[in-house]
Amino acid sequence: MAENPTTLVQGTLDMLILKTLALEPMHGYGIALRIEQISRGVFQVNAGSLFPAFRRLERDGLLESEWRATENNRRAKYYRLTEAGRKKLKSETREWGRQAAAIARILETSS
Amino acid sequence: MSLNALRSPIKLLRRVAGGLRGLFRKERDDRELDEELRSYLDAAANVKMRAGVPHDEAVRAARMEMGSLESVKEEVRAVAWESALQTVWQDVRFALRMLAKSPGFAVVTILTLALAIGANTAIFSAVYAVLLKPLPFRDSDRLAFIEKKNPPRGWDRNTISPAEILAWRDQSRAFEDMAAYTQRHCVLTGAAEAEEDPCEVISSNLFPILGVAPIRGRTFSADEDKPEGPRVAILSYALWQRRFAADENVIGRSVDIDGASYTIVGIMPPSFSHAYAPPYHALSESFAQLWLSGIALSPASAWNDYFGIGRLKSGLSLQQAEAQMDTVSARIEAMYRDLKGWRAQLMSLRTISSGDTRPALLVLMGAVAFVLLIACANIANLLLARGASRANEFAVRNALGASQSRIVRQLLTESFVISMAGGVLGVLLASWGTRALVALAPPFLLKTAPGLASGAADSRVFGFSFATVVMTTFLFGLAPALQSSRPHVTETLKETGRSSLQSPRNRRFRSALVVSEIALAMVLLIGAGLMVRTLAQLSRVNLGFNPANVLTLRAPLSGGQYKEPQARAQFWDRALSAVESLPGVEAASVSLRLPVNGWAGQFFNTADDPNPPAGQVPDANYVIVGPGYFRVMQIPLRRGRSFNEHDTQSGDRVVIVNEELARSYWPGQDPLGKQLRVGGQGPWLSIVGVAGNVLSQGPDAGFHPEIYVPYQQFPWLLGGPKHLVVRTSAGVKPETLAHAVVQEIHRLDKDVPVADIATMELIAREPMAQQRMVMALLVSFAGLALVLSALGIYSVLSYSIAQRTREIGLRVALGAQQRDVLRLVVGQGIALAIVGAVAGIAGALGLTRYLQSLLYGVRPTDPLTFAGVAILLALVSLAACYIPARRATRVDPLAALRHE
Repeated sequence: MAENPTTLVQGTLDMLILKTLALEPMHGYGIALRIEQISRGVFQVNAGSLFPAFRRLERDGLLESEWRATENNRRAKYYRLTEAGRKKLKSETREWGRQAAAIARILETSS
Repeated sequence: MSLNALRSPIKLLRRVAGGLRGLFRKERDDRELDEELRSYLDAAANVKMRAGVPHDEAVRAARMEMGSLESVKEEVRAVAWESALQTVWQDVRFALRMLAKSPGFAVVTILTLALAIGANTAIFSAVYAVLLKPLPFRDSDRLAFIEKKNPPRGWDRNTISPAEILAWRDQSRAFEDMAAYTQRHCVLTGAAEAEEDPCEVISSNLFPILGVAPIRGRTFSADEDKPEGPRVAILSYALWQRRFAADENVIGRSVDIDGASYTIVGIMPPSFSHAYAPPYHALSESFAQLWLSGIALSPASAWNDYFGIGRLKSGLSLQQAEAQMDTVSARIEAMYRDLKGWRAQLMSLRTISSGDTRPALLVLMGAVAFVLLIACANIANLLLARGASRANEFAVRNALGASQSRIVRQLLTESFVISMAGGVLGVLLASWGTRALVALAPPFLLKTAPGLASGAADSRVFGFSFATVVMTTFLFGLAPALQSSRPHVTETLKETGRSSLQSPRNRRFRSALVVSEIALAMVLLIGAGLMVRTLAQLSRVNLGFNPANVLTLRAPLSGGQYKEPQARAQFWDRALSAVESLPGVEAASVSLRLPVNGWAGQFFNTADDPNPPAGQVPDANYVIVGPGYFRVMQIPLRRGRSFNEHDTQSGDRVVIVNEELARSYWPGQDPLGKQLRVGGQGPWLSIVGVAGNVLSQGPDAGFHPEIYVPYQQFPWLLGGPKHLVVRTSAGVKPETLAHAVVQEIHRLDKDVPVADIATMELIAREPMAQQRMVMALLVSFAGLALVLSALGIYSVLSYSIAQRTREIGLRVALGAQQRDVLRLVVGQGIALAIVGAVAGIAGALGLTRYLQSLLYGVRPTDPLTFAGVAILLALVSLAACYIPARRATRVDPLAALRHE
């Protein structure tokens, strides 16, 4: 784990959850773990922000959930991207790319 | 972008739907969330175990990482909007439980607020009805009420003449149009019993200018303004309902008015009250009931008997319009001797319709706002004391994870519940209070605000009450909530009863609250004191006549058999002797007008100075009376003789003048035998007597010249006398004779209408009605304020003594006497009272000048009132100290030192 896990920029957690779920349906802890692993520990997601995000995304119709057995045969709630969620991820990714590039440009010129 | 805009309503719908579902599935959702979180913990622990961590440690680590399960759940719930509702509901239920646990506190606070909000609502409903409610006319802010003033002679608000109206209408460019009307009393005869109603002769453009259309029929046409035009009439809704039984076929029917036949052409809507007209008779209930055509304005007439109403061109102010009219007046005064010095005087219809009630209502609104502030300060104080005893509760909740803002919200909810309960009760009290207000209110106030008398509740008044509730919640709830919620967890939990709530800062805050309560109460008390003094002065005023034991009524004789002045004089002769023979009647007489409530200036000349320059012609009130008038009114005769049976048409023409007239025109000379004549024509009249001065325009208007003439000599003048005045014997209440007197009149002629039966005392009191209302209300508000601030002193002292029990015990143990303890407590209370009183006096010095227009015979800074109120406050403060002080002297040093 990295020395200083960064707190996520407001709103980016939703995008990361959508991205994680783009490959396959996962349960809560799986999502947290995946984000941590892929970000190489830069982002640490705690339950206190993860679960409200699930509730929010579900309400907005971007996620669906169902109870399923886990790999070691326990019951867990699995989340899956809806069609709307997929579209949202696409547009968010594009938007993010645009913004990141713009910020990078600004930082380069001002240095 | 546009796609997003389209999608967001769908998203909103989804959220709402999800929320509604959530409301009904709360239990299930909670269970699911529990299970989900458990599986999350399992999964986390599993991963750690796979990495070689022992089971127990893995579970613990997973739990540590997750933090408090409860706070995670709380945050998930917070995502959903419906949970906010649930929290509010929870808070409300909790607040109700807390209030139920301390019923004493609940009753005191809710009652205090109910009284304060009730008073505010009641006064506001009057303010709204009289000052804020839109007038029932089109673009009423562009309507101007037109009278005239004579600045060189110091006269104002005079009626205007046709010459002026026509000149202003045609030559000044300030108005779109201008209408005129004159007020009268009309006698209706015909099928039903004869009745007299206030009526108006109006120009045909009056209703179109006001923007009010009749509900049936039409308004007058320009043809009908001419003297020889068709005689037509418009009925008020009330008259139509009452006298014509709401007959739909009344239009086109003819009706006899003052002995002439008029055709009914229209009916006005019920909402059309006469908000533009000054009242006819101080005590009569109604405005004009009937409108007649045939105003016949002639440019040659300088007869001042009209009011004007004009619609200003848009963008013009009253001052600009007056300036334009002044140039016209300057032109026409050269042509008419009687118009010399007169200039237009404009007022907005709002000013006319609210009359002189505006300052009174604003003073009362300010006073109730003070009461509300005092109530809030008092409740804030109680809440702070309560907060101190609940410090533990807050500390525990804070330790269990409730944020400060959560506790503030909880406390504000409690305050809101108190406010709302007080508000609901207050609105109920207000409907009762409005009725009390109506009972106290001067008739004029009720006439301008008919909705007030009927007690009709207005949604705006409810809006005001609710806004007051919300405002008071923050006013009294915010400071205690912030103070109480300040987290001092460890100290509070460690050491019971030591928290920020007992800090010197908090004590100072509470003292400041009490001081402001006392200051506000002081201001109210001084205001009330000034009004009490005003009324005392007013009732001590010698009016110049004795209003006690006098019955008055109006019996106008018109039309038919009374066309001839001689017939009217004969009727009165017979009526007076019939009434005087009734048991209990001492004397009876007649008069054209009654003192205090009727005044009409007339020009006159004296034989010594028959041709004064224009603009300096003397002016006096012209009183046409019967011979017994001075005896009935008990107006003293200073010189000469009274009228007698020889003053008839065959005798010399005589008059009696008042002292003021004699002093003004024959200073230092004997006025008896001097001659004068009224209106610049007719025979010269000899002065045979000088009567004492009468305050005929009310107690605060001073003396004016008056001329009394006997009606038998001049039965044709101004239509003859109309008022019957009857003095009853000592011990006979005048109102008890009313029936018998009316019977005597109807025995002579059953068709003579009788109106405005009143005692002279009632009429004499009428000009004070407004002051009396303000006084009664200010006294009750000040009393309430005084009680509340005494409670404030009491509660601060009781609390402070409870806190200082140890200290007092120690002092007693070290030899302090009862006297010393008393001084300690009472000293604290008196210090609060003194600071409050000084602040209150300073405030009153700045504020009482707003009472100025209501005061009589007392200055706004009357030192007697200020001193008296200060003494009263000191006594009440001492009384408020008494119980806490006695409790302090009973502190047992041993028990106190063992305490805590």
